[in-house]
Amino acid sequence: MRALDWVIIAVYLVYVLVDGVRRAKGTREIEGYFLANRSLPWWAVGLSVMATQLSAITLIGTTGQGATDGMRFVQFYFGLPLAMVLLGVTLVPFLHGAKVFTAYEYLERRFDARTRSLTSLLFLVARGMSCGTIIAAPAVVFSAIFGWNLVWSVALIGIPTVTYTMIGGVQAVTWVDVKQMGLIVFALIAVVVTLLMQLPVAPGHALALAGAAGRLRAFDFSFDVTNDFTFWSGLIGGTFLMLSYFGTDQSQVQRYITAKSVGQARSSLLISAYWKIPLQALVLLTGVLVSVFFVFQEPPLLFNPVEEQAVRATQPAMYGDLDARYRMALQARETAAHAVAVARERGDGNASVASLEAFKARQADVGTLREEALGLARRVTGTTARDVNFVIPYYVLHFLPVGLAGIFVAAVLAAAMSASAGELNSLATVTVIDFYRRWVRPEAPAAHYLLMSKVATGCWGLFACGVATFAATLGSLIVVVNRFGSFFYGSILGVFLLAMIPRARATGAFLGLIAGMVTVGAVNFGAPAVSWLWHNVIGAVTVVAVGLVLSALKTNAERESRNAEQP
Amino acid sequence: MSDTPSPAAASGLFRRTLIRVLAVQVATLLLLWLLQTHYTR
Repeated sequence: MRALDWVIIAVYLVYVLVDGVRRAKGTREIEGYFLANRSLPWWAVGLSVMATQLSAITLIGTTGQGATDGMRFVQFYFGLPLAMVLLGVTLVPFLHGAKVFTAYEYLERRFDARTRSLTSLLFLVARGMSCGTIIAAPAVVFSAIFGWNLVWSVALIGIPTVTYTMIGGVQAVTWVDVKQMGLIVFALIAVVVTLLMQLPVAPGHALALAGAAGRLRAFDFSFDVTNDFTFWSGLIGGTFLMLSYFGTDQSQVQRYITAKSVGQARSSLLISAYWKIPLQALVLLTGVLVSVFFVFQEPPLLFNPVEEQAVRATQPAMYGDLDARYRMALQARETAAHAVAVARERGDGNASVASLEAFKARQADVGTLREEALGLARRVTGTTARDVNFVIPYYVLHFLPVGLAGIFVAAVLAAAMSASAGELNSLATVTVIDFYRRWVRPEAPAAHYLLMSKVATGCWGLFACGVATFAATLGSLIVVVNRFGSFFYGSILGVFLLAMIPRARATGAFLGLIAGMVTVGAVNFGAPAVSWLWHNVIGAVTVVAVGLVLSALKTNAERESRNAEQP
Repeated sequence: MSDTPSPAAASGLFRRTLIRVLAVQVATLLLLWLLQTHYTR
């Protein structure tokens, strides 16, 4: 990183803060603070929806997954377009038309206060924790690569985000999101173009090498419930997860109920429906290209500098031996890669196949040595952290041209800030609307609620920063965040599905919700091999089934009671 | 005037939107599939 890179990052931080804070003008009551008086255009809302979902974990963790594991993670999003379209004709008109502040407020109108309070409490727990991990992802990486204290790294992201969210409310969140989304997409495209120019072989040869290394395998049609990412878990489990996330999670719902109309809210979700899979494919492809880049440019044995130093210090002989063997394996792989390019240039089919086979063998050697080194790092540091989140930062800091490195780091900050700002705003909304105004002070002046909303945003910001400092030792952060949600998401979706079924009753919904969570918990601990994406399906189906059975029993009991009372 | 469409209009809207969205996704997935089959042996 050069001076210009730091200037770019500083300018970005100042601009975001100023731009966010100036949105506070005109926000006198909570309708404006939380919902922007339902006045925002669809394209701004749509970009804000995408920015809230696209966190620094996507830029660091998902690109890292692309580099180490290939394209198969894209299957996770296969259910998203269908979910968006379904939501557009079901829950979106429901929630926008109900003129509610929170999705859970609607549940009290349809069922009762306890169902509303339980679902909003679950949201606060799950989203409060996930907001912490969203800040933790880049903070951990920044503290490792720049040698900063973790608390300072968390503060660098947390303080500006909490400040503009607290002062500017949803207007600040949305309009800053729009610019942050632009910066993120620009940075990704710039990195891909730079990578293509830096590669010493033609793009076709690079893709052949990536394919031979198994990095272009985007589809796995096996019906294996223990496999996290397959076509079927993405399509079925992913549809349920996305229906729940976009339809019942306040951090998303709050984005589109700020739209001017139902039509505009629907259009805002369609931006994700059209662009989410192509964008995720681009993110993963960036990682894949980085992995090919490291075929021709020697990468370190361990990408996490903190782990590397720890292993080097405690096991110098073993690490030295591993590193020497790794260097030799890298040279052999690079030679094999050049042979692939030469054979393909010549158009010699047989030589091309033989050279690809040789490259695959050398790639396997490199992979084995990396696994050995990672195992050693795990034994030395006592953590289960993988260095998947450090692959892209290493490339950015060492190989991106001056200026572009600063833009990419600013984009990572933008991703972390946009995702956490949306979540902080929604956490404050649920705290004030579903708890404070509902249970503590139902009648108070508008200025009081506005003040409490700002206080709640600040408190949640502090909580998220606190969680972020503890989330540092968790493994692949993208999986951690989604795991938190999957414990509750399916069950909450089940309650909203019940709300759309006329014969569903309040008691059925409440007990069904508890049954759904107990079932997901039992599956998680009783059959831990079942992939967490399926938890969403299990939770939703259980809640609907139990809710409908209990509702029918309650209706029958009431009917019999009425019949018995009649003379 | 209400913003919420009638059930028949909603059904038509859903069908048209679904087709358009799926067309874009099919094109994307086809591209990914071609990448996988062409370059992965």
